[in-house]
Order: sequence, then C-alpha cells, then structure tokens
Amino acid sequence: MEFSEHIKTANVEDVVLRQPLHPARKGTLCITGHHLLFSDKEDSSRQVLLLLRNIDAVEKSVENLVGYSSLFSFADHGERSGSSGTIIVKCKDLHVLQIDIPGMEQCLNIAHSIETLSNLNCVSEMYPFFYRPPNHSLDRQWGISTPEQFFRETEGLSFLWRLSAVNRDFSICPSYPPLLIVPKDIDDESLKKVSKFRQGGRFPVLCYYHRKNGMVIMRSSQPLIGANKKRCREDECLLQAVIGSSDKGYIIDTRSGQQSQQARMIGGGFEPKSCYSCWKRLHRNVEKGKTLQESFIKLVEACGDESNNMDRWLSKLENSKWLSHVQTALSTAGLVAECVERDGHSVLVHGSEGTDSTLLISTLAQLIMDPSCRSLEGFLCLLEREWVQAGHPFQQRCFHSAYSHARLQQESPVFLLMLDCVWQLWRQFPLALGFSEALLLRLATEAYASNYGTFLCNSELERCALQVKENTYCLFQALLKSVEREIYTNPLYESTDLAIWPSVHPQSLQLWRSFFLRWTPQNRHLEEAQEDIRNMIIEWGKLARR
Amino acid sequence: MASPVSVYNSNSLDSHISSVSRDSLKMEPLTDVSLLPGEDGVIEKEVIYICPFNGPVKGKVLITNYRLYFRSSDADLMVTLDVPLGAISRVEKMGGASSRGENSYGLDITCKDMRNLRFALKQEGHSRRDIFDLLFRLAFPLSHNLHLFAYVTQEKYEENGWNVYKAMDELRRQGLPNNKWRITFINKSYELCDTYPTVLAVPYKCKEEDLRRVAAFRSRARIPVLSWIHRENQAVIVRCSQPLVGMSGKRNKDDERYLEMIREANDTPKLTIFDARPSVNAVANKATGGGYEGDEYQNAELVFLDIQNIHVMRESLKKLKDIVYPNVEESHWLSSLESTHWLEHIKLVLSGAIQVADKVSTGNSVVVHCSDGWDRTAQLTSLAMLMLDSHYRTLRGFEVLIEKEWISFGHKFASRIGHGDKNHADQDRSPIFVQFIDCVWQMTKQFPTAFEFNERLLLTILDNLYSCRFGTFLYNCESARDQHELRIKTVSLWSLVNSKTDIYLNPFYTPEPNMVLCPVASMRHLELWVSYYIRWNPRIRQQQSPVEQRYKELLALRDEYLKKLEELQLSDSSPAPRVAHNSSTSNTSSSNSSTPSTHCTHLQTPF
Repeated sequence: MEFSEHIKTANVEDVVLRQPLHPARKGTLCITGHHLLFSDKEDSSRQVLLLLRNIDAVEKSVENLVGYSSLFSFADHGERSGSSGTIIVKCKDLHVLQIDIPGMEQCLNIAHSIETLSNLNCVSEMYPFFYRPPNHSLDRQWGISTPEQFFRETEGLSFLWRLSAVNRDFSICPSYPPLLIVPKDIDDESLKKVSKFRQGGRFPVLCYYHRKNGMVIMRSSQPLIGANKKRCREDECLLQAVIGSSDKGYIIDTRSGQQSQQARMIGGGFEPKSCYSCWKRLHRNVEKGKTLQESFIKLVEACGDESNNMDRWLSKLENSKWLSHVQTALSTAGLVAECVERDGHSVLVHGSEGTDSTLLISTLAQLIMDPSCRSLEGFLCLLEREWVQAGHPFQQRCFHSAYSHARLQQESPVFLLMLDCVWQLWRQFPLALGFSEALLLRLATEAYASNYGTFLCNSELERCALQVKENTYCLFQALLKSVEREIYTNPLYESTDLAIWPSVHPQSLQLWRSFFLRWTPQNRHLEEAQEDIRNMIIEWGKLARR
Repeated sequence: MASPVSVYNSNSLDSHISSVSRDSLKMEPLTDVSLLPGEDGVIEKEVIYICPFNGPVKGKVLITNYRLYFRSSDADLMVTLDVPLGAISRVEKMGGASSRGENSYGLDITCKDMRNLRFALKQEGHSRRDIFDLLFRLAFPLSHNLHLFAYVTQEKYEENGWNVYKAMDELRRQGLPNNKWRITFINKSYELCDTYPTVLAVPYKCKEEDLRRVAAFRSRARIPVLSWIHRENQAVIVRCSQPLVGMSGKRNKDDERYLEMIREANDTPKLTIFDARPSVNAVANKATGGGYEGDEYQNAELVFLDIQNIHVMRESLKKLKDIVYPNVEESHWLSSLESTHWLEHIKLVLSGAIQVADKVSTGNSVVVHCSDGWDRTAQLTSLAMLMLDSHYRTLRGFEVLIEKEWISFGHKFASRIGHGDKNHADQDRSPIFVQFIDCVWQMTKQFPTAFEFNERLLLTILDNLYSCRFGTFLYNCESARDQHELRIKTVSLWSLVNSKTDIYLNPFYTPEPNMVLCPVASMRHLELWVSYYIRWNPRIRQQQSPVEQRYKELLALRDEYLKKLEELQLSDSSPAPRVAHNSSTSNTSSSNSSTPSTHCTHLQTPF
C-alpha cells in the first residue's frame, strides 16, 4: 500500500493554525504518510509536527462567498475563488487544533487524507517502523526487563516457584509471553491442561512476590466452568500449590457476583467453593470495556464544554462517573494489598479475559505494597511486565480516544485509568514515588500515538510476528536515557519501605486536571511552576553535595 | 480481626490516633498538659467522648479557662482533643436523667471550626451539671461579664506583633502622600466615622469639609478612601460603603464631585464603581435608604459583581458542614458539594477581585463597595491587592494586608465570629473571613511559587480567628479596640507567627516583584479546601508530617544555598549575578521579568 494514494493535496500555503496557548499563525501545511506538518511563515523554526496517528477526529466546515457555513460530508463542490474551509483536528491526547485552509477543495482533500491516514490499522506500516532517530542503531536489547530477569532478581522466589517455557511458541496461550512463573510442583503437562480450562489459555501465573511474608499475587482469566459446572483437577491443584502450607487464599473477582454468574451461561464462570475450598472469593465490580470508554467520553465532553463554565460542572463531573471508576480501582487494589500485606494470604486476581481490569488491579496493588516498583525504573519495569508482556491489547484499546465519531469497537481507556489512579497515589504521597507527573502524562500520550514500538500490537505473539523488537525503538529505554530521565524523576522522592495505603473517599480523589484540562492556560502555568520547583530542588541539592 | 471482607478502609495513618501500650495508660492523666500563662484548670472529669470515627472512647476531660482537653484512658487507641473554648459556638445538654440507651446522657458541643463534640456522662446525680455550667460560662465569657482569655494570658514572644502594621508606614511604602493624594487625620478621634481607622488617604484636592459632606451621604459615614495605589500608572483602589440614595433617588453633589476627583487623580477615562452585590439586592437596599450610584455620576460606570450577602454565605457553609461532618457524603459527593454552592461563592468573590485587579493594572481607578463596605468590600480589595502587589504575598506583607484591609477598616470580627458570646444563632455571624482565606488558599494552589507563606499559616490564622488567645481578631473596629486598650493588654497573633517563622514558610517561594497574579476563577480549577474543611476526619488524606518535614529540610537547604551563593559573590569581584536578591531565580529564567512593567502570566476571562 502506498500512502501517496491517500494524499491528493500534500502542501497548502497560507493556512492559519489556531491552537490553545498560542497566537494564531500563518504558514504552510504539509501532509505526509505519518505526519501533519505546519511551518510558520515568519519563523520557520516554529514548526508543529503532529503524528497523524494521534488524530482522533477531524471535523470540517467549508464556507463560500455568500457567507453561510455548513458541514459537507462529501466533496461535490468544486473550488470557487474566495471559498475557504476550516478543519478542526481533535487529538487522542485531547489537544484540539483548528486549521483554516484557503480553497474548499484543498480543505476537503486535506481533511480526507487526515481521516484516512489516521485510521489505517496496519501495524507494520505505522510510524515506529520508520522512526530512526540519529545516532541510534537498532541492534540493542529491546525492553528493560525480561521474565528471566524478574525471576532471577526476585529474592526468595526460586524456592517454591519456577520459570516455565511451556508457552515458548505461544501455542498454549497466544496472549502470554513465552516464559511464565508458576508453582514448582506443577509441571508443564498440567499447565497445558489448566490453560484449556481458562479463557484464552490464560492460566494462573505469578505476577508479584511479597518478600516480607512470601505471599503472592497471581493473575489469570476466568475458569471455563460453564453451565454444567465443569471441573479441572489440574487447575485446582495449581491453586492449591499456590496456597501451600498456608490455610487459605483470596480470589478477587473483578466482576460483580451477578456478572460472574451470568458468565457461566456463556461458558465462563468463577471458582466454586466446593472445588476450591481453601479459596475465599470476593467480588468487586471494576468497570472496563464500553462502560469505561463511555465514561471517558462524557468526562472529556464536560471538560471541553466552554458554554456553561459555571453551571453544574461538579454534577457533570460526577455524572461522567470517571472518578468513581478511579475509586473502585484503587479500593479493589487496596483490598488485594490488604489481603497480602496485612492479612498474610496469597491472592488470585481475575475478571473475564484477564487482560484489562485484572492488570489494572495487580499493577496498583504492587505499587501500594512494593517500594521497588515505585522508582522510575521500577515503575517502567512494572508497566512492561504487567501491561506489555502480560498482553494488554493496546492496539484494540487505544485505537480511538474520546473524540472519535467512529463506532466504538474494542476501545477502552483501561491503561489511562491506571495512570490516573497512579496519579492519585502520587498526589496523596508526594514523596513516595520516584517518578514525576510528566512521566504519567507522557505515557498517556504514547499509549495512543507514539514514535516507539512499545505499545504496538496486542500481545508478545503479534510483536514477534511483526518483528517489532527488531524494527522499532523501545519507549521505556528512551525514557531512561539520561537527557530525558531528569524530567521524569520526582525530586522530592524518598523511598519508603512502608505500604502506601491510598484514601479512597471521594473527598480524597481529584480530577487529574493536568491531563484532562491539559490544554488550558492555567495548566500550562502550573506546569511551569512545577518545573521551576524541580529545578530549585535540583540546584539546592547540587550545592549541598559539593 | 482485620478481615479483608470488611469494607476496605484506609485509616492506617490516623493522625491523632495511635496505639499505646496499656502500661502507659496507668498514669494519672492530664497533669502533663502544658498550659499557657494565665491558664488554669478548672475541672477534670471522667467522660465518654463519642468519637464519630472510632465510637465511644472513655477518658478524662480537663476544662481550663482557655481550652477543653480530652484524653482517652481505657482503650488501645489514643484519642486526644485540644479545643480552645473560643471555638465553641454552642453547648447543649443531650438526653435527660431518664433517657434510655447507652451514652444518651451528656453534652453536645457545636464548634465554629467545622466539628461537633459529644460527651456522655454517668446518668446519676446530675453528673453533668457542674461541667455544663462551667463550660457555658467559660466558653461565653462576654455573656457572663468575664474577660476574654486574651486579656488574661500574658504570653511572651521575641517579637511584638502589634508593630507589624503602622498605617503611615504602609502608605509611605505605597509612595503616599504624593501630589494627588494626601493623608488626613480628620478621623483621629473617630468623629467622622467610628468604624474607620484614624489615618485615611484621600484626594489631594479635597478639603476636610468636603469629606464631612460626603460622609453624610455614605452609609455609616464610610467615605471613599484609598486602599492601594499602583506605583507606575497611579490607578487606585478606593473603598467605601453604599451611597444613601433611598427611594426618592437623592443626589449629593459633593459625593459626585468627590468621585470625580478620584478619577481625575490619574486621568482615568472612566471610573469603575464595583458594587459587590447582585443588582437586585442593590435596588432593594434603596428601600432602607441605601442604593447605588446612578447616571448622575458622570465619567463613571457601575458594575455589579453578584456576590451574595452574609446570610447566604453562612447558610452555604452550614450546608457544607452537613456533608462533611461527622460523616462525609459518599455516594453523591460532587453533586452534594455543588448544592452547597460554597465553591460557586468562592468563584464569584475571586472573579470579582480579578476584575478589580484587571482594571487597576491597566491604569483605571476603581471604587469598591457593597452595603456597609466591611464584608464583601474587604474581600474584594484585599484579594485584588494580593494579586497586584507582591509585597502582600510575603509573610509579613500578608499580615499587613489583614491588619489593614480587614482589621483597621472595621470588618466586624466580633459580630461575625461572636467571640465569647452565647448567642449562637445571631444573624450577624458569617464566615466572610474564612471565605477570604479560602480564596487565598485557592490562589496559593494556582501559584505554588508566588507566596512566601504556606498552608500552615492559613490554618493557624483560622484557628486563632476563634481561639480568643490573641487580641488580633477581637472587636469590630479600631475605636472599640482603643477603648478596650487591646494593643496594650493583649498579645498579637503575629507575635507567635513572627517568632518562629520557619514553619510557616514555603520553600519554593520565588519573589517576583512586578508580577500581577491572574488566578483562574473557573469552577474547573477550584477545589474544596479539604485539609481545612474536612481535617477532623482521619480517613481523608491530609498534608502529612513527612511532607512537612521534607519541606522544612528543603527550606534549610535553600537557605544554605543562598548563603553559599552570597559567599561566592563576595569572593568574586566580578559583577554580582542577578540572583543576588532574588532567591533561586537563576533557574527560572522563563518567569524572570524581562519586561519591568507588570506581567500577566496568563489571562482568562473569569466568566
């Protein structure tokens, strides 16, 4: 496929670009296969380079000489002299740009190109495969941690646990990585049987080992109990092996009791007490999927509503339910941490597929309990392990953001919700996390559109098939490079061994303004102030060390 | 047992509750409470504190002439309460001798600082009579011909806070008098206006008899006087009360000429009169003899700022208290918060002040008034001055601002707070000053490097607004303070603050002398001040001690940094770097004022 097929007009002169926080500018607009490029007429150094992939929606309106404006869905009006058009580009990172283009046809051509190119879904044609920063070569290791490293570096793990290569060719579970940590007593043959009993083959694997008491967090997908109450001895044995000598464990089901009952009708279900007598099951309704996506859309709508600034903002915020999703996620993660840290028992987390809410909860629980994943590196390793390697379907979930008019498919901002929850932790514990808010904002943008290959595809299998690791750069590695690193560290960071229990009352939770109201002047100012504070602390520290 | 089946809660960091071993509880309690000079214990009693967060807690209560102190004695959890009696607005008996049910007999205490306290006593022998009577007398001394505690205690501090504000010094700092504005002592014995200070700044051209005639036309003789003048463009903020227009639409040529003189002082094309009230209220005020400036005032425009009166504000805060104490609203928090309208009122006050500051910074003089000019007017002028003048954003400057615009200009602290007065339902009470401090807090949130002081100072100010430990917020006006020899017989709150400033300082403060702050008053950017309004609830995350500790270290680090920098400059004969007097601007070049004139970080219409 050639990108040029989709580009009827590649260059337009004398366009006017209007974007928040900047004065309107006149210049040249250029469309390439992956980018929208605007160069200022007066100052060519002031360019705007936007990944087309970042564009969520394009709205065009064309105006002719008579002076009425209307929305055209198709280009059946020829160019008239004096006619002009306006394109409003709404980005996945919630940035909104307006471009005034002279000439109706050019305007429609540009809009058409943007629409088509930003919606291409062929991964191997995407920009990360073309991104080649100077002075870097692709021969290095991709990623910042591997399951082997994690297994090796987690002290005390090897007594009761082993690294299994049963999934080395992705045949057991297509969404899992090749290497997984399982109880030592369970052999690969059993794992194969267990995988047939779990949706998508996602059998229970270890994702966290609590050094203080040896308890663990496991995660999986739902068991395929079905309407006629199927059993799987190997599955029961595996979970029994997890408990070991302890008296019980907890299963945190991220669905409501009713939802998991209903799941049995379509072949899924939950672990019945009769077969898993040592496991106590608790249900928490952590929303995902469509419900979460709709909540996101409502919130972004409320944030962008300029008309009634004063009226009912808080009601609108409440009606979006976004903050109550944050609350549920944090309190469920707190529950998991409470089971492991305070109660001293192991936990299995799952919902249905085990690729969304499950990962959200296991990630947050680890942040609450484990000081080692609160450093910048530790946090990025956690994300790589729990989201990239564990098979969160980024490609599907982040195909569109909150502005798109397209019919929703598999989009859902689970990763964004996780970042929001981490931000709440960061706000409640300003000293405990080693990374900055800037990192969370950067990740929120990169998940939707990126120069890097990290968030491409839905699983390790797909990444292997497309040779993502051989042909793209890794975001996490880039973030840890010295130049960028400083921006992403928290200068107030003081590592603590204690768990950081979040307060989950609605009074303790705040809208993540710096993300959702990112493009307002007030936020820009606060960002600058934060930057000043960071520089101050660094400067003072340098002198103290001298 | 901490079973995870129970609803997950996060009270692990309860600030005032900690486990103590049983042995340590054996000691005879409450002898170790450190009392203030002049403070005497009056009664000690075994009671049960009905804690809304932990249930009934047995312990002892100590009542002195200054405070109510409670400490638990019989449980594994340590609960202490330390409440100045000044914070109490109401003491009531709960239940009767024949009431059934556990802990149904006792005292119910309503506080002015967003909490209530309930104590249960033994249901026999009128066990609560003595404590009730004492509490009632000591909490409301003025209703019982007793002295406020500020007149009893004799605290000693390194610095005398009463010297913080001298009206003449402050006017001189602003560059007054000059050839357009003079200082008058016409009110030196409070003859012209009994609620104004003695030193006033008025237009140079205006004669003393003009002032008297203007006074006759302004409610309570609160004539327009200068609060603040812009050094470069000479635009002024003038404050006053409403004109006495009345139903018949009276006019007063002297008043009209007087406002014209204010306009002429810096040739403002059109003088803007900000009437803080909603226009309907301003019209309604005509019925009681008041009103607003009409078309007869040439070269002036009138703008209503739609800020509600003291009664609306009082009810709004009462509603807020209902949803945060004792239990926080859980299921519909945001819409409940919205229905209190508290943040909406904050927004209107802030956006009014923004409009005032905007006019003045663009060279236009303004007149601000409401009805009497001591509530909304004080909010607007002081907030606008905080935006315009960086001096007021320093610790001492902020003290001056409060002394000047609130205390000396007769905000009726005694009536609004009801110090030592038992009439809890008095219609004159209103949280106008709390609202002002809330607005300041919102500004400190939006400009984290612009204020020298921190949240701790704001909390200390509000605590001592009620405590009656210091003379600072007592009485309604200067004439009453003089009459009661307040500054001789009591200690100023600023004595306490200025004697140990480090805990009130913001380590990230970066002085920027010419910067005008333009906060955003949009609802989207306002937040409820949780660490004040919900601070009694241990389950809501608050500013924690490790953070305060870290900030203190940073403050020390900053001072060390500045010292070393100074040394480097001394040893270096080359011209001093620009950091010399400007702590830490070396790395904030973006905000360093390259233009000497006023500089707006950002402007947003507040509507």
